Amino acid sequence: MPAYHSAFNEATDLRSIGGMSFLPIKTKFRGPASNADPNAEDIIDEALNLFRANVLFRNFEIKGDADRVLIYLILYITECLNKLTKNPSLRDAEKTLGTLALSNFAIPGDALFPLNALYPAPANKADADLLRQYISQLRQEMGVRLPHRIYENDKPGKWWMCFHKRKFMNKSL
Amino acid sequence: MSRLAPVVIDNGTGFTKMGFAGNSDPSFIQPTVIATRDRGSAAKGPSVPSKPSFLNTSSSSNLASKRGIEDLDFYIGDEAVANSKTYALNYPIRHGQIDNWDHMERYWEQSIFKYLRCEPEDHYFLLTEPPLNAPENRENTAEIMFESFNIQGLYIAVQAVLALAASWTSNKVSEQSLTGTVIDSGDGVTHVIPVAEGYVIGSSIKSVPIAGRDLTSFVQNLLRERGESMIPAEDSMTVAQRIKEQYSYVCPDIVKEFKKYDQEGDKYFKKYDGVHSVTGQPYSVDVGFERFLAPEIFFNPEIASSDYLTPLPEVVDTVVQTSPIDVRRGLYKNIVLSGGSTMFENFGKRLQRDIKRIADARIRRSEILSGGSMRSTPMEVNVISHKFQRYAVWFGGSLLASTPEFYSYCHTKAEYDEIGPSICRHNRVFGTLG
Repeated sequence: MPAYHSAFNEATDLRSIGGMSFLPIKTKFRGPASNADPNAEDIIDEALNLFRANVLFRNFEIKGDADRVLIYLILYITECLNKLTKNPSLRDAEKTLGTLALSNFAIPGDALFPLNALYPAPANKADADLLRQYISQLRQEMGVRLPHRIYENDKPGKWWMCFHKRKFMNKSL
Repeated sequence: MSRLAPVVIDNGTGFTKMGFAGNSDPSFIQPTVIATRDRGSAAKGPSVPSKPSFLNTSSSSNLASKRGIEDLDFYIGDEAVANSKTYALNYPIRHGQIDNWDHMERYWEQSIFKYLRCEPEDHYFLLTEPPLNAPENRENTAEIMFESFNIQGLYIAVQAVLALAASWTSNKVSEQSLTGTVIDSGDGVTHVIPVAEGYVIGSSIKSVPIAGRDLTSFVQNLLRERGESMIPAEDSMTVAQRIKEQYSYVCPDIVKEFKKYDQEGDKYFKKYDGVHSVTGQPYSVDVGFERFLAPEIFFNPEIASSDYLTPLPEVVDTVVQTSPIDVRRGLYKNIVLSGGSTMFENFGKRLQRDIKRIADARIRRSEILSGGSMRSTPMEVNVISHKFQRYAVWFGGSLLASTPEFYSYCHTKAEYDEIGPSICRHNRVFGTLG
């Protein structure tokens, strides 16, 4: 039983840029992603659910464009956890992750993006901008949901923090 | 004629299990290690005589003077480990095979006289050997057993076959057959051994470099990554081992298991209480995901190692598929677990499910390829766990040696005196129990 894949791989009618499909997400942040059903789990919930299992694996076979979103989110969670190693309070954590989400980041096609072997570059400048907005939306929403998921007694839970040193697919953002 | 119970000794690489036939547990379980004084000579190896011995009259007397009291000054097992500061530790068995016959002879000597406390000339002996053992080793064993210990009779059984026999106690087993796949996982290495009608199919044996020791170090790693700072550094190995032994189990699906821990933490998170071995301070350690992640490395080796990636169920499937075609159904039907590292709760269940999945997928594929014209009966996959798993080999030996037929399969002292050690090159396969 290898690593877990995204359940959204089947939704092929969605637009995708740089190999990442534009999945609907439950978010208040503005961006190109459409709104998801508030009662169902979206890709961000899925990434949070699968994170602790998948982060243990070094190999991952990409089975669809949603898997690329999943990989990105899992690597982003690791990056977030690394920001929380100093045990900030919940409010500080939200602030830190908010800034992290909006800080300068690489997208597929950029020279600094670590997974260029697996992600095709966007076709043109307009697509690249759209992709950047989408990823930024994902990062912002993750920055809000992650602390709520892992905080206990105003401290990041140790049962999550123990995974911050693991590197999914031996990569980090 | 009433006979005393046969002695059953299973010498493994790590541990020796010994006791008397008919018992359900071995009387002694101790490390296969011998502590001797000869620190220097062991390193030098055997000296090569420069002249033929008849020209060199002094050499034999020299040897005799060396073999004085020093020869009796040794410990075995736990006592050897306890005396490791002043004595040199030797491991007479390497990779399942006897490496140093002199040490092994002395190991048996103390096993028999100091631990089992029996007169070897009053007993039959059942010893075990790894699969693919050389017949010369059996000859050497016979020589030591008959000449040095003067035993009544000897039978040397293959460990995997004994493990199969041990599974007859499980209520899942309907017939007592000696066909099956044995998964033997101890401390150092895991072997998958197919056995057909009591004969090991040597060409299909596979080994997996994941066993107890790797699980322990994986647990140790997880604890360290989580920063369990309460564990004293010198105890971290023992703590990891205890946690592995006391709390680990196999889960059907890791993601679901993580969810259970989130929702019902009180039920799943445990505490391990230990005492510092030097200062005597008590400490406690949280036990979490390592409970199910440790045995998971059998099923997903990549989470712990970077070079070995084949899951155990896949290895078992390959072993069966490379065996002769007419025994494959029998091998799938009777997969037997043996050894301490197969003791995890639900280990058998998960293994059975995963192997069944692989086998079913293969059948489905061949049915599709045949264009729907061929139908095959579904493959029966059974993984058998039983309560004697930990010492399955020894227990199987105890079971077989307690039957009256055992004596007719043994090589007796009289036969040995008549023919010589070569009679022990071959040991007849036990039929099924009548």
